[in-house]
Amino acid sequence: MPLAIVFDRRIGYLFPMEQSELRAFEKRCTQEEAPACQTACPLHVDARAFCGLMAAGRLSDARKLLERSMPLADLLGRLCEGDCLAACRRAEIDAAVNMPLLERACVCFSKPAKGMLMPSTGKRVAVAGAGLSSLCLAWELGKKGHTAVIHHCQSPGGRLKSVNNAVLPEGVLADALDALTGLRVEFILVDSFSPAWRDKALEDHLALYIGLDDASVSLADFALGGISDFLTQETAMPAVFAGGAPDTPGGAPSFVRAAADGKRAAGSIIRLMQGVSPATARENEGVYKSLLHTNLEDVAPALPVIALDPDAPTEDEAVAEAARCIRCECLECVKHCVYLANYKGYPKRYAREIYNNLSVVHGLRRSNGQINSCAECGLCAAVCPNSADMGAFCASARREMARSNRMPPSAHEFALEDMAFSNAPDIAFFRHEPGASQSAWAFFPGCQLPASFPGQSADVYRHLRRHLPESGNAPKGGGGVGFFFRCCGAPARWSGRDLLTAESAASLRADWQQAGEPTLILACASCMSFFTEALPDIPVISLWDVLADLPLPEGAAAAGLDLALHDPCAARHSDVTRARVRALARQLGQEVEELSLGGALTRCCGYGGLASAANPVLGDAIALSRAKDTDRALLTWCAMCRDRLRAVGKNSLHLLDLLFPDGSAEQAATRPAPGISARQERRLSFRTTLLHDAWNENPPENAGMDSITLSMDEDTARKLDARRILRSDIKAVLLHAKDNGPQFANPDTGRSLHCLRPKQVTFWVEFTRTGDNAYDVHDAYCHRMVVPGVPGEGLDTAATCEGYSRKGGRM
Amino acid sequence: MKAELQGVSARGWICRQCGIPLEILPVDITYMGSSFQVELPRCRQCGYTFIPPDLAEGKMLEVEKILEDK
Ligand code: SF4
Ligand code: SF4
Ligand code: SF4
Ligand SMILES: [Zn+2]
Repeated sequence: MPLAIVFDRRIGYLFPMEQSELRAFEKRCTQEEAPACQTACPLHVDARAFCGLMAAGRLSDARKLLERSMPLADLLGRLCEGDCLAACRRAEIDAAVNMPLLERACVCFSKPAKGMLMPSTGKRVAVAGAGLSSLCLAWELGKKGHTAVIHHCQSPGGRLKSVNNAVLPEGVLADALDALTGLRVEFILVDSFSPAWRDKALEDHLALYIGLDDASVSLADFALGGISDFLTQETAMPAVFAGGAPDTPGGAPSFVRAAADGKRAAGSIIRLMQGVSPATARENEGVYKSLLHTNLEDVAPALPVIALDPDAPTEDEAVAEAARCIRCECLECVKHCVYLANYKGYPKRYAREIYNNLSVVHGLRRSNGQINSCAECGLCAAVCPNSADMGAFCASARREMARSNRMPPSAHEFALEDMAFSNAPDIAFFRHEPGASQSAWAFFPGCQLPASFPGQSADVYRHLRRHLPESGNAPKGGGGVGFFFRCCGAPARWSGRDLLTAESAASLRADWQQAGEPTLILACASCMSFFTEALPDIPVISLWDVLADLPLPEGAAAAGLDLALHDPCAARHSDVTRARVRALARQLGQEVEELSLGGALTRCCGYGGLASAANPVLGDAIALSRAKDTDRALLTWCAMCRDRLRAVGKNSLHLLDLLFPDGSAEQAATRPAPGISARQERRLSFRTTLLHDAWNENPPENAGMDSITLSMDEDTARKLDARRILRSDIKAVLLHAKDNGPQFANPDTGRSLHCLRPKQVTFWVEFTRTGDNAYDVHDAYCHRMVVPGVPGEGLDTAATCEGYSRKGGRM
Repeated sequence: MKAELQGVSARGWICRQCGIPLEILPVDITYMGSSFQVELPRCRQCGYTFIPPDLAEGKMLEVEKILEDK
């Protein structure tokens, strides 16, 4: 299929996501597949929806639904043999939902829906035999305005006439024949059928149907061999169709299958009259096996309703039986993922919406927020019977958005600036082990661990230096344990920016080569997956794999608390490391509860995929939902998981809190999560402290900014965090106000207000200057719109996606 | 969109440099290639425009998001 290329005035040529990618994804999600009952029903009655209406006592609506797929429902609704029963998934638990009973009750206690009579098309179809299949065919044709002319040797009805009166009361057949007459069906009594009759019938009519469920009719009468296609009901002779016989010669006759034969033959004849082949567009018309996945694990048993009189069930009995239907559907992933549940749909639908969203050239791209809110944690793929990975689909959509410059600039801006901050030369560094000139290994804590656990990050480094070289697995060539501080680049990849990801990976590789290509010891599971995928040539090992082989640190101890283990979602596929983490807990004597959604089925904290960056509200809901999986405090081995879970009020510990305790476990479990400014400040002070303690270096301080002291109350600090305003942003505004004088004054309160646009954002600070370099900050806020007259360099460039490379340094 | 961004009062702020109260005056604000003229408290002399916190974090944010999805 050729790729549609769209030209957009603003951005040039736009290559939409390939449709094949959508199709491949759609195929995996079974949620839209018809349930087993429906695919087993020869008429494809939507038993699931029917049961829903019946259970709600909405019998006339149920009847309308039934009549949509069942011809002559008043008759057939009392007679259906229930081919769905053998397929019903409920049967795997106790007993199938008794659809025949429900249908009987439905048609007994409701009135037929009044249909509009279509104007006559004048097209006439000959029918031989007046059994149920012929009547159903006539019904289907009559509803479309065509005239069926039924020729019969005996009174109409065939086998229907011998049905027990209790099942088919007097009058129902007669009413059905009346209804057919109302649809312009004509009944003509004939003596017998013959090849000559057949030819005459074909001269006078557009097609002929032979209903073999009338005992006075056989194919031999027409000199025809048999049916050549059991879906279209065609015979070897053009325009002649037949049906209604048992599936196997001499087999048991079936009303519902005969009815379906007539209905499908009507479909063939209508196609023929439209000038298309009877075989056109008939996928899934026959009986087939449903692909719909349905998890029966949590279905409570419910015994079938036994009707006092099975031939005449009461309405109450039917309603109760209908309630047994479990309304089969999949939604396995949706049940497990807060994100998927949030948009009230399921992956197949989402994928279509996202695909369409990507193709919007003019107008709102409504799914942008949804695409950017997925945590890309892979749980959906892990629980899906067909491994449909919504995270991978969203990742692909994000890359497409970034490539075509359609990524909303605000979604990932803070995260990417934070990454640039960590990789700026005044934060990032590499050093060989003090006293060594080469490194066999280098500890790579990532950007988040030192922001969350600066003290313990340094402890880990000391521990590694002390024990790793003597542990016996030193590589040949020797060398110590170096230290490598920077961000791996995962945020760039999560944000969909290919160029930035490649650029960041290249600079990391260059730094690593410069360091003499040591094996990197990674503390963070997200770093691990980034290295594995973006830098597969760099040898890496998990810190937890390494620690499990070394002696326990002095002072390491169990927490003395009941803990449940929370694995980071990036470790979903790291079986070995997850086992090593458990081994470490055992060595510590720490018993842990395994969560039912743990290990390979672990759930995300909301940080993954920058979900919480793009959608903070949903990010918190994701963390909260995880927190509720257990009453115990959580023990994790990812810094972001720990802090995000703590931020929603969950007592949480990092494994480092047990290995290198700093205060009591209770204190550690309730220690507040640092805010965004604190995280950056801690990276900086971690660097300063470590360089000083390990290498005796004293990096210079940033005179202008560091001389300013801010005071604000906790509420304001929290508000600024939520607005993603850093203390360094505020300081920049205040420095500017100090040099140029604030723009606004409030004579009533004595406060000042100043704004500055240092980048794509305008920051406002309301403050009182309390000393030469001291300020009370009352409020700060920001906006991205450009208002004239604001000092600063940040213009309204239309979202340059790749503008986050290393900056010259901190402001 | 224009109407959503108006109706703001100066709330006691004056232009510090010029020492005069702010007045409701037209101003062109722009984002993502779109531009609207709205009326906001401004200094008649130097043109400084006052944006209050609830406007920045409320309606302005909403409009920004819409423009980013366009
Ligand atoms: S688990 Fe989700 S994606 Fe997979 S088939 Fe079920 S609804 Fe579809
Ligand atoms: S439980 Fe309901 S939806 Fe599922 S197969 Fe049975 S009748 Fe159909
Ligand atoms: S958040 Fe995780 S489980 Fe949910 S859709 Fe995204 S990748 Fe799948
Ligand atoms: Zn002024």
